[in-house]
Amino acid sequence: MAKSVLVIGGGPAGLGAARILGKLGIPTILVEKEDRLGGNPILNHYHTLIPRKLKPEQVLGPYIKEVESNPNVQVKLKTELTACEGEPGSYKVTLSNGETHEVGAIVVAKGFEHFDPRRKGELGYGLYPDVITNLELEQMFSREGRLYRPSNGQLPKRVAFVFCVGSRDRQLGVTNVHCCRYGCALSGLQAMEIKQHYPDVDVFCYYMDVRTYGTWEYPFYWAPQEQYGVRYVRGRIAGITYSPADGRLRVKHEDTIVQRPAEVPMDLVVLVLGMEPSAGTKKVAKILGLAQDPDSKFLVPSEESGSNIISNKPGIFIAGACKGPIDIESSLAEGEAAGAEAAAFVGAKVTV
Amino acid sequence: MDVSGDWNLIILPRVINDYDLDFAKEVMSLPEGKTMIQCYQCSYCTASCPVHNYWDERYNSRHFIHLARLGLIDELQKRADVMWRCVSCHKCTHRCPKGVLVEEVLKAILKTMAKKGLIDEYPSKKFDKFFTESVLEYGRIEDGELLFGWIEKQGYNVVKDPILKKPIPFLGETPEWLKQLVMKPIKSMNISFLVLNAKHMLFHPRTKNWNKFKQVLRKVVQEEGGLT
Repeated sequence: MAKSVLVIGGGPAGLGAARILGKLGIPTILVEKEDRLGGNPILNHYHTLIPRKLKPEQVLGPYIKEVESNPNVQVKLKTELTACEGEPGSYKVTLSNGETHEVGAIVVAKGFEHFDPRRKGELGYGLYPDVITNLELEQMFSREGRLYRPSNGQLPKRVAFVFCVGSRDRQLGVTNVHCCRYGCALSGLQAMEIKQHYPDVDVFCYYMDVRTYGTWEYPFYWAPQEQYGVRYVRGRIAGITYSPADGRLRVKHEDTIVQRPAEVPMDLVVLVLGMEPSAGTKKVAKILGLAQDPDSKFLVPSEESGSNIISNKPGIFIAGACKGPIDIESSLAEGEAAGAEAAAFVGAKVTV
Repeated sequence: MDVSGDWNLIILPRVINDYDLDFAKEVMSLPEGKTMIQCYQCSYCTASCPVHNYWDERYNSRHFIHLARLGLIDELQKRADVMWRCVSCHKCTHRCPKGVLVEEVLKAILKTMAKKGLIDEYPSKKFDKFFTESVLEYGRIEDGELLFGWIEKQGYNVVKDPILKKPIPFLGETPEWLKQLVMKPIKSMNISFLVLNAKHMLFHPRTKNWNKFKQVLRKVVQEEGGLT
């Protein structure tokens, strides 16, 4: 019988890996630090996922079901990796519940964390109730199913999306100079959702660049603009203030096309958050000795391999958002690829 | 407005306080303004525009679209003197990667501005009206009358013939540039053509049966707002 594989993290990438390993008949241990599987999309109640506009339950539900029902996969919730010894092919891992296992390979999928916008004090998050994050907007849609201003519960007349909060920003230190990759597209999607349900709400996107790369260009940039009349204004929001006279917010920026300063009234301001490696990712990298980007602390793949799921340690594979911002379908695919690589590494003989 | 005691200056505020979003709605309610929404500010149109490149850089079609979309009227008005200068080469429209009918959109912006009294009518529109009147009157363009009638409108003293009260070419005051403009081609022209032209200038021929048709045409043009 083949040696077992440890999958760290129960988000999209971890689920992808555990699912394929289970399917290939390889004994798999899936550890997840929270009390349920699904990772950020499920735990944080995302509403609609880019790029295929599916619900998180639609995408991850079947994966969770398959992983939980597969006898080859042992799911260990509220568990973390605490130590790892041994050599490639026979790692001795210790978990936080005291168990030790010998595994042939490890798949790391510890994911990311949302940026905390309180670190950008000038944007007034936490100070003004009508400044919310795009995560809170998702939760507003998914939990309450309506759009409102948190200050008074009324429908906003104008909504502004502030791109690149906690991304591409040297002011936060070298850790946040990368692009979050999903923000432009998700903002386009959220703007369209707002316009679909409330056509009279004017939506503005304040951008530096619109990075809806590849095939996302039409559905998440052209469509919001052409079909829903979402307005894109170039200029990074440098400050958000509150006017007690009319109870509205003012977004302070320079319209770089007009080359004039502007302080435009808005009712609801949505901060588009960047991605950072999760605390778990950094911890696991330390335990396993994985290479990290010196600036952002995301995991980096092996220099010898062209594939980005091969880590610098033989027998350890990295997948998903622990090695940089990524969308969910790619995360699942990477997880599956890492799972298959791990299966090959432990020498599974698979009959199809 | 701020008055700074230290600088001894009156400082005009530059800050944009709000957008006028109704302006864009009005532009896009016109059939020729519909594609304005598609612009993503790449400036392919402006880079292709001969007016921008060779005449005045303030004529910037891409910029006008941005200003109109956000309703930054004061910025549009700053460019009122150049905004009419499109030469209708349509390079912008043919090259736009987003399929914006740039030339038409700019006309829609101007139309909306003129309607709201935000911009003075383009001077050449006066000539257009004169031209239209001439066509409506005779069913054809009569070069001599058009030219000298226009010159009369510009304030030159022309000699009119006593019966039709139309200006007789070259008899009265004539601008120097016009003399030169006309004399050069005349020297190389066929004599019968010159005679024909002179006859037309004096007798103002009309298209056959024009009188009946003219009434219908005038009514139609009037209904469509072409004469206002």
